[in-house]
Amino acid sequence: MLKVSNLVTEFASIKALNDISFQAKPGRITTVIGANGAGKSTLLRTISGLERPTSGSITWFDEELTDKSVEAIVRSGVAQVPEGHAVISQLSVAENIELGGLFRKRQARGDLEIATKEVYELFPILFERRREPAGSLSGGERQMLAISRALVARPKLLLLDEPSLGLAPLISAQIISIVDELCKSTGLTVLLVEQNANTALAVADHGILLALGKVVADLPAKELIADSALRAAYLGY
Amino acid sequence: MNSFLTAFFAGTSQGAIYALVSLGLVLVWRGAGVVNFAQMGQAMFTTYIASQLIQNEYSYWSAFVIALISGAILGAIVDLGIMRPLSSRKNSQLLNSQSMRTTIPVIASLGILGVLKSVAGILWAGEERGFPAPVPTTGLRLGNTDLAITGFDLFVIGVVFLALVLTTIFFTRTGMGLAMRASALNPEVTRLSGIRVGSVRTLSWAISGTASSLAGLLVTPKTNLSPNTLDLLLIVGFTAAVVGGLTSLAVQFWVDLFWAM
Repeated sequence: MLKVSNLVTEFASIKALNDISFQAKPGRITTVIGANGAGKSTLLRTISGLERPTSGSITWFDEELTDKSVEAIVRSGVAQVPEGHAVISQLSVAENIELGGLFRKRQARGDLEIATKEVYELFPILFERRREPAGSLSGGERQMLAISRALVARPKLLLLDEPSLGLAPLISAQIISIVDELCKSTGLTVLLVEQNANTALAVADHGILLALGKVVADLPAKELIADSALRAAYLGY
Repeated sequence: MNSFLTAFFAGTSQGAIYALVSLGLVLVWRGAGVVNFAQMGQAMFTTYIASQLIQNEYSYWSAFVIALISGAILGAIVDLGIMRPLSSRKNSQLLNSQSMRTTIPVIASLGILGVLKSVAGILWAGEERGFPAPVPTTGLRLGNTDLAITGFDLFVIGVVFLALVLTTIFFTRTGMGLAMRASALNPEVTRLSGIRVGSVRTLSWAISGTASSLAGLLVTPKTNLSPNTLDLLLIVGFTAAVVGGLTSLAVQFWVDLFWAM
């Protein structure tokens, strides 16, 4: 279980995250929603170690992640797919995927080949375009590649930062549905940050609403979808 | 025709050495975002080490290998001992500004260059000394015909060609090469892939140190060795690196050859 307790992250004395606490159940999707500037991406970046918290703690089962480096957190089974279809454009599709599992190459060469085959089965278009530079892919394909890069590391917890950003609704629904399938079939725990609240909450077990760096609602996803007053107050619709 | 060919082969040999200098510069620039003005100071220092070993009656080849290893170690020390502590200082607002973050390592590299020159001056009296070539530096003969190329030019071209082939294989066919390219292109995504970017960066410094050390060993049989001998090599290599855009190693190689011609 992911447990975030009293987390504070500051940028030049401005609290981007202000005393955040929540839990994400293993094998389920927990969705974090909120308007721009609510602190959603900062939350994921703090969990993955890209930002250092001022105080508070982050634990993944019994493992304390708070003071670990980004690389050590990845090696603990926590992978992040950052916002903006984060792939390395100049490298080929196959190299981007290989990069994700490179740190396991010595210990688990055989499994790495299986994991690579699995992501190609999940996203066949990537196999077709494996020799092409990642920069030549469409937005949706780049997002698939970013997710694949994270999956070959065999994470237990996947942090997904706005996977639907800039994508056509059909493509973003397809990606979220694949993540949902993965979660159900492999027991992967997912912390999904989205602005597109309806799509993201539809597949989630639990929903967390952030506003100005604070948790204003921590409810089962169905209740959060149904709460029109909360949505109107914090999301504007 | 003969003078043209002589100039052609001598230029190719010289260009090959510039390519090594540029390779070292590009590796550190792409890997760590630093223009390393100390590079040829490091090369001068390791060439002095080789020279000292040869004076102490070690064979040329053992001195050659030890100089290359020393180049790698010196490169790693510069990163671990100086550049990394400088870039991780977070208690000063001045040091945290973006412009200072890029300027300070460059100033530090100039400082390292000064220190290396001074230490070489103290250890080896700063006097100009010869450095041997492993093969004759006179023109080759084929039957009764004098060829326009010397054995040493051929040696330099061969060694640099081999170094560039090995570097290309390393970067395109190995996991560590992929990690180095990735961390130069996008450190954040690379870190999120579980790669220790700091260690990869140190390796860039080490390989760069080896390349410069090799350049020092190959150029000094023609120029002699003193603490200031290799300064010009850095200027030409740096200019060629800038003309080549400080990016692709292949582009860099052709720019260097053209430059030398």
